[in-house]
Amino acid sequence: MDALTQVTIDFETSHLVFPRLISVILALMGAAILLTKRQRIAGAGGYWRETLSRMDKARFFGTLALTLLYFSLMVPVGDIWPNTGRGFLICSVPYVLATGLLFMHDRTIRNVVPLAIVALLAPALVWWLFTDLFFLTLP
Amino acid sequence: MEFLSLISPLFLCLVVGGTLVGIIFGAIPGMTATMAVAVCLPMTYSLGLENGLALLLGLYVGGISGGLVPAILLGIPGTPSSITTTFDGYPMAKAGEGEKALRIGIIASFCGGVVSLIALFFFAPALANFAIEFSYVEKFLIILFALTVMAALSSDMLMGIFSGFLGIFVALIGVYDISDGGNGELRLIPPGTEYWLEGGFSLLPVLIGLFGLAAILEEAETGVKQGQTMDDVKIGGGGGFSLGIFKGQFVNIFRSSGIGTFTGILPGVGGSAASILAYSNAKTFSKHPERFGKGEPSGLIASESGNNGLTGGALVPLLSLGIPGDSTTALLIGAFTLQGIQVGPLFIGNNPETWNAMIFAMLLANVAMLVMMYVAIRYFAMVVTIPKHILFPVILMMCVIGAYTINYGIMFDVWTLLIFGLFGWVAVKLGLEIAPFIIGFILGPSAEVYFVKSLESFGDLTIFFTKSWIALVLWVLIIGSLAASVYIARNKRATDQLA
Amino acid sequence: MTFTRRTILAAVSATALLAQPIAAAAQELPRNVRLVIGSTSTGGDTYQNSSIVADALAEHLDINIKVDAVGATEAFKALERDSRGTTLMIFHDQSYLGNLYGVSGYDDPFENYTVGPTVAINPGNAYLVPKSSEYQSMDDILTAAENGERVRVAIQPGGVSEIGFSAMKNAAAVRSPGSEENIVAVNTGSQSDKNQAMWDDLADVINGSIQANEQFTQLPEDDQKAMRFVWITARPATLEQAPEQGMGETDRAALMQYAAPETSVPLNEEGENFTFDKEFFFLFNPEMDPAIIEQIDTALAEIFENGEIQERQKASFFIPNFLPSGEAQQHLMDKRDTYEQVISEISGES
Repeated sequence: MDALTQVTIDFETSHLVFPRLISVILALMGAAILLTKRQRIAGAGGYWRETLSRMDKARFFGTLALTLLYFSLMVPVGDIWPNTGRGFLICSVPYVLATGLLFMHDRTIRNVVPLAIVALLAPALVWWLFTDLFFLTLP
Repeated sequence: MEFLSLISPLFLCLVVGGTLVGIIFGAIPGMTATMAVAVCLPMTYSLGLENGLALLLGLYVGGISGGLVPAILLGIPGTPSSITTTFDGYPMAKAGEGEKALRIGIIASFCGGVVSLIALFFFAPALANFAIEFSYVEKFLIILFALTVMAALSSDMLMGIFSGFLGIFVALIGVYDISDGGNGELRLIPPGTEYWLEGGFSLLPVLIGLFGLAAILEEAETGVKQGQTMDDVKIGGGGGFSLGIFKGQFVNIFRSSGIGTFTGILPGVGGSAASILAYSNAKTFSKHPERFGKGEPSGLIASESGNNGLTGGALVPLLSLGIPGDSTTALLIGAFTLQGIQVGPLFIGNNPETWNAMIFAMLLANVAMLVMMYVAIRYFAMVVTIPKHILFPVILMMCVIGAYTINYGIMFDVWTLLIFGLFGWVAVKLGLEIAPFIIGFILGPSAEVYFVKSLESFGDLTIFFTKSWIALVLWVLIIGSLAASVYIARNKRATDQLA
Repeated sequence: MTFTRRTILAAVSATALLAQPIAAAAQELPRNVRLVIGSTSTGGDTYQNSSIVADALAEHLDINIKVDAVGATEAFKALERDSRGTTLMIFHDQSYLGNLYGVSGYDDPFENYTVGPTVAINPGNAYLVPKSSEYQSMDDILTAAENGERVRVAIQPGGVSEIGFSAMKNAAAVRSPGSEENIVAVNTGSQSDKNQAMWDDLADVINGSIQANEQFTQLPEDDQKAMRFVWITARPATLEQAPEQGMGETDRAALMQYAAPETSVPLNEEGENFTFDKEFFFLFNPEMDPAIIEQIDTALAEIFENGEIQERQKASFFIPNFLPSGEAQQHLMDKRDTYEQVISEISGES
């Protein structure tokens, strides 16, 4: 009986013990989900088509694209002036402005002006706080 | 009362100022109490020990408390320890009870802080001695108990628990960290991605990705409709809040604060586990467990008194063993060594004035937190009236800053934010559940280390039952929590069928 | 005396200022420098040390230096990406020990990077036993191993914490070949895990430090948490420079009882003792302009000459230890070779 519960774990391979255990549990539960929810899974194609057709594509994909661009540019731009955080500053201003405009429904001057002010001030303030006051590294 | 000579106007200003800055850090998604302490630590060198500690403790208390503001108003936890606050706080805010939820959360936070402070002041050495009774085995069982909340939080049991295990799985990606006791080997890394994934995904970027970016993507998907106005939030006039809400909550407050304190005391169990455990317990023992997750004040109270209970608790091992109880107190060690003061089992006895000054600073920080946050409720609540086209871009920018600075400048953490933002958006559509997922992700690494180390050290599965009476008590709690979840799920199904 | 020295320094820097247009052709440290460190903790010894050095260097050269606790793997990556001198690194012996022990993420630092000047030593690396332990000394431990008793040592594998353990095994092998088998590792993580391993009776000896464990040695013997030093790995010459009052209740003289030569862990049959000092040093991108290294060397020489930095280091229980790049490289390489020998010795036989 004792032998059944005994386990020897070799330190060299101990990094695999838990991932294997969790993988087995996930596989079992995954199978159970496939079995109990097969009808819903079969209807998934239709569900995604509907989601896509109902979605505000411009705003959704626009946000994604802007964010991708923002993240990709931050480091190369920052690299021109190393360790000053200007990459963050220079990229954040247009990013905040562009996403703001994208999200805005009624693009009147009354709405755009406050956004533009925030887009200029917020990154500048944050940049100053983090690089000068808190002395942290920004891209 | 010699320590009173250490209390100067500067000391008081530093506590209050520290608390204020801490609240701001905590309230901004992506900024944490740990970060607040980290950036202010170098300043303490010139301040001297007591004044330096006054500032840092204020930051700590403020930082942990401030996290409730975005958790309640935006559904984005300001700090990892306020995740469970979103579960009931955000539904309340959506139902127009934002102000009420804020008031409840702030008072619960204060209670948690004070209870843990009392525990710290009177029982620190005794609690530390009790804490070292917890070996790998008991620590694993504590984590397992915290994990049972995955079942309690699931709206579909099977999918919820699956999501939780998926969270654990994702947390295991990368290196089995040597500094946690691992062997430094990599696992679960797709070939070709070692360069980025070696260190795995960090908690904070994952968290703000799942809660912050994913929520904004969802809004973008539905066209970013303008949200609440001043009238919806019902600001002013108390928002339907009265102290009567706390009637019948005393047990909950004390239990949650106690759990928070004790989780803080156990080194390595982790700060975020405190509120998770408190929440899970509150649900298990509640008369109306089915209301949790839909805007139940008890859940909010449990979460907030739990995470503020942590503050006093985490100082217990620091000051009586020289071992930090969570990531923030790990930085406090730096404040002591900067001044050439040793922390260890003799600290309290050797430095009674510093010790008393610290307790006083903590108490003051809690009071300052209560007063400042209470006064500021009006202004906090106005956040939700800011047009989304201004609020969201700024939140996104703050998330980026938080992700980039959390590990002192690693760009992969920013990409993690995007990866998990997208994952969070897709996951909801696949029927996966975010709450259990993030809990699995937070607790996964500790679960692994303590489970594997238990078996490595004792070599027998039965050790989980035979190690000590503490282990048995924990098993009772684990089984009780699971049974409660199953019972609730059955009841729910029965009522669903009736309806 | 100080006045004249200062005048000379002022004169030197004035000449340097005048000479700048000519010197400008050579590369210099940029205005904004990022100093990455091999630890993720901003409360730990690497961070403290690095920030002391960074502050002094920044003030001396009138530039900005930010210390970023990104951890070893990320620090090496950041260093690799940047050869302009905008990213520098400070780390300790872990950088080559990790490589010797084959930990992933650690390349040979002497080959892949340029090893720069050393700045300080943390003399604290120590081994402890429970206060009630039957082992009174390292000699008892090695004798026990010789007599076939299993001695379990709690360490964090793969570096600074393991090297003393490897040395113990090596010493056992020197004294009585085969007895090193009886010294076994209990692999744990942080200091709290190591302490806990002792209290749970999973380990007979633990790795620790003077700073973190001294107070535990002051507890009464009937306290479960009480510990006793058995070995401090520092070189005697290093400990001699420690403040005389030592750490806490243990003065320098008492600490030296636990270090070589009083406490002997033999390195070889010739009677040499094994010692280990945790030394902090700079690491540079291999393609970085040597002129920058020279600039840092000179600046540090002037800073250490000035004498203020030593006071700050000593206040935090660090031993000032400035060696310019060339000497530091040679010294660390020799050190590495000794440890490589020790590690291959014990792994070759077992």
